[in-house]
Amino acid sequence: MLPVPPAGCADVWWLDIGTVTVGRPELAELSLEEHKRAASFAFRSDRRRYTAAHVMLRRVLSGYVDSPPSSLIFRREPCPRCGKPTGRPALPFGYGLHFSLAHSGDAVVIAVAGQQVGVDVEQQPTGCVCALSADMNATDAEWGRPLAEAARHDLVIRWWVRAEAVLKCTGEGIGHGIGAFPVLGSPDGPVGPAVPGGPDQLVAATPAHGCSLISLPAPDGYQAALALAGSVSGIRLAVRAPWTAAGARRPSHDSVR
Amino acid sequence: MTGLPRPAAGTAEADPVIADELRQLLATATGRAELAGITLDTPLFGAGVGLDSLTGTLLLRQVRQRFGVDVAAEDLNLDALATLGTLASFVGDRVAGARAGGG
Repeated sequence: MLPVPPAGCADVWWLDIGTVTVGRPELAELSLEEHKRAASFAFRSDRRRYTAAHVMLRRVLSGYVDSPPSSLIFRREPCPRCGKPTGRPALPFGYGLHFSLAHSGDAVVIAVAGQQVGVDVEQQPTGCVCALSADMNATDAEWGRPLAEAARHDLVIRWWVRAEAVLKCTGEGIGHGIGAFPVLGSPDGPVGPAVPGGPDQLVAATPAHGCSLISLPAPDGYQAALALAGSVSGIRLAVRAPWTAAGARRPSHDSVR
Repeated sequence: MTGLPRPAAGTAEADPVIADELRQLLATATGRAELAGITLDTPLFGAGVGLDSLTGTLLLRQVRQRFGVDVAAEDLNLDALATLGTLASFVGDRVAGARAGGG
């Protein structure tokens, strides 16, 4: 059984959907609600991403709570803003375990922590994303103004994943607005891209909206961020499943492929 | 039953020109060419074409730039976002209303 990460630490699990096969044994682990949602996608690629991500989530969490993947029941906590059941996903009884799931393109990422955690990943869109500047916090938007277009697109997505990670950590989601607080600021300029590190690394965090925020090393063409509730100067990351070395994963996860 | 028209709920008033422009915006925002061919009754959010929060927000911003219609601000329940057809109808109504109002 995997230990729940201690304070200030987070486990990170990556999955490349391009490397997995989702067949009958995997689908059997999903709930009726998950099957219904999977069936409602118009395109096979979206259905595949959704099912692979949720099989992965169940298998990862099952390792921390010592229960079979299919036995896990998910609920949504109330949104701290409006009380609607759109807040953070959780397991009944909690297990002292907090988690967050994000997927985009071929990438799935799951963060697990002993305190509230939010993670986001986005594949860099091919088109222009400058229209999103209108949603940005004014301080963050200022950083993008002097940049050339490609660098600005990069910055906009860095802003997005950082802001969304925070709002997933608090449970507010983006429905109440995503630009209420800055996430890119530092005295020297906007935060740069995440620096790739080993399987275990301490990453300096910046405070944002009651959380501690880092950019998460992500696959090429993607950006990601992770937020932990509360104030810490650095977040210790343990990458439990790296992006590329899918074969190095624990045996119970191999059949996702 | 091929050849018979198939009415889709809530899409009666969708302007085909606006719907086509929305399809193009969708395809560009997501980088997925197959979205340029979706039908009017295809759901946009919740599942459907798998718009995530980033591409969904980007689409709404681009709709605002292109048509001057702020869907999120004007339709608080976001019923307009149910399908491509409902979004095209909503945008078409607002564009027509702005014209009629001399805007």
